[in-house]
Amino acid sequence: MVEQEPPKKVASDGSELGSMARHMRAAEPYVSAVWKLVGGAVVGVLGGYWLDKKLGTAPWLLLGLSLLGICVGFYGFLREMARLGKRK
Amino acid sequence: MRKAMVLFACLFVATAWASESGGHGEGNEPSVPDYILHHVADTNDFELEVPLSHPIHLGAIPPIRIGSCAPVMTDHGLQAPTGWPGLMAGCLDLSITKHTVMMWLAALLLIGTILIWSNRDKTKMVPRGTGANLIEMLVLFIRDEMAIKNIGKEDGPRYVPYLLTAFFFILFMNLLGLVPWMATATGNLAVTAGLALCTFFVTQAAGIRSAGLGGYLKHLTGGVHWTLWIIMVPVEILGLISKPFALTMRLFANMLAGHIVLFFLIGLIFILGHPAVAAVSVPFAFAIYLLELFVAFVQAYVFTLLSALFIGMAVATGHHHDDHGHADDHGHGHSELGPSHDHGKAHA
Repeated sequence: MVEQEPPKKVASDGSELGSMARHMRAAEPYVSAVWKLVGGAVVGVLGGYWLDKKLGTAPWLLLGLSLLGICVGFYGFLREMARLGKRK
Repeated sequence: MRKAMVLFACLFVATAWASESGGHGEGNEPSVPDYILHHVADTNDFELEVPLSHPIHLGAIPPIRIGSCAPVMTDHGLQAPTGWPGLMAGCLDLSITKHTVMMWLAALLLIGTILIWSNRDKTKMVPRGTGANLIEMLVLFIRDEMAIKNIGKEDGPRYVPYLLTAFFFILFMNLLGLVPWMATATGNLAVTAGLALCTFFVTQAAGIRSAGLGGYLKHLTGGVHWTLWIIMVPVEILGLISKPFALTMRLFANMLAGHIVLFFLIGLIFILGHPAVAAVSVPFAFAIYLLELFVAFVQAYVFTLLSALFIGMAVATGHHHDDHGHADDHGHGHSELGPSHDHGKAHA
């Protein structure tokens, strides 16, 4: 029973994965961090534009949500980067 | 192989001939681009082009509508609203179209072929026959090279049935589109979006299964303070949607583009207006046709490979969360590995 445990742990270390899967998994946190940076701005601008159109408050919600989106994007990005730096 | 090539060449010439003879009798024949776009588009009308005769119309199937769906005044008169406003008014158009019929046909052929080829003599260890060996080769390839290499040894075999279904269904639809008189269902944005949606749901289910609902939802918040969720949650959801969107566009664009190129090469005969052009354009079209045969396999492969990769990444995200204290879920995954793995082998 005790001898059967180690192979399972070896199998879960990702050694059987193809090179593409390994590289994608390694890049995923960085891609996700960059998407937070860009996506924050995108969601802020589009959300503000849509709300402005709906509520007729142009251009205030567009300006406000854009700024908020950019800030949140930067915050999420830097937080993720700090976390990734710590992991290394 | 040579016989098949001669047969395909004959079919092409016959189709080109039919188009030419069909066009001569009418005064206002459509231009080549109109003709091509009409042929790759989805319609309620299933046309059979018979060489030396006019196209046979199998008849339009009336749209099935759900809900009240009151007609509204448009530029073209009183019509049922389409698109999103139509959907809101209860006009869900569930008509049976050309591509729907092709999907049914692909599904039927797939079930029949797989049932026949996988029905081997259980008393013998080694399966015999071309079909059984072909199926075994493809199934083993998808399990060993796609599922295990992209998802992992433990979780991979669990997703093999989905990957196999996606691969064979797309392959059959792609190949059916290359049969004369048939249509390419994968050259329709709605079909590819539906397929990508299946991958999307499987990916999310894999993520939830791997990380637990709490871990999955935590990942959706992007790890920021709850006051910032209003921005971060849409950002993360958009990020999730981007992957199936890429799958949708890739399959759709590749299948549609190949068929348009094929049609235009044949169409050159009618654009330049001299039968001698056929001597050049038909061999070219035939070469593109062979390329399309290859593309049919490649696109089914790419869709399945990327689905496996996305599922693998969702599973890996869950394992990352496990490192932070969800070890129970991880252990649960281990216990179900055995039967699932065996099932994959038995199926192969």
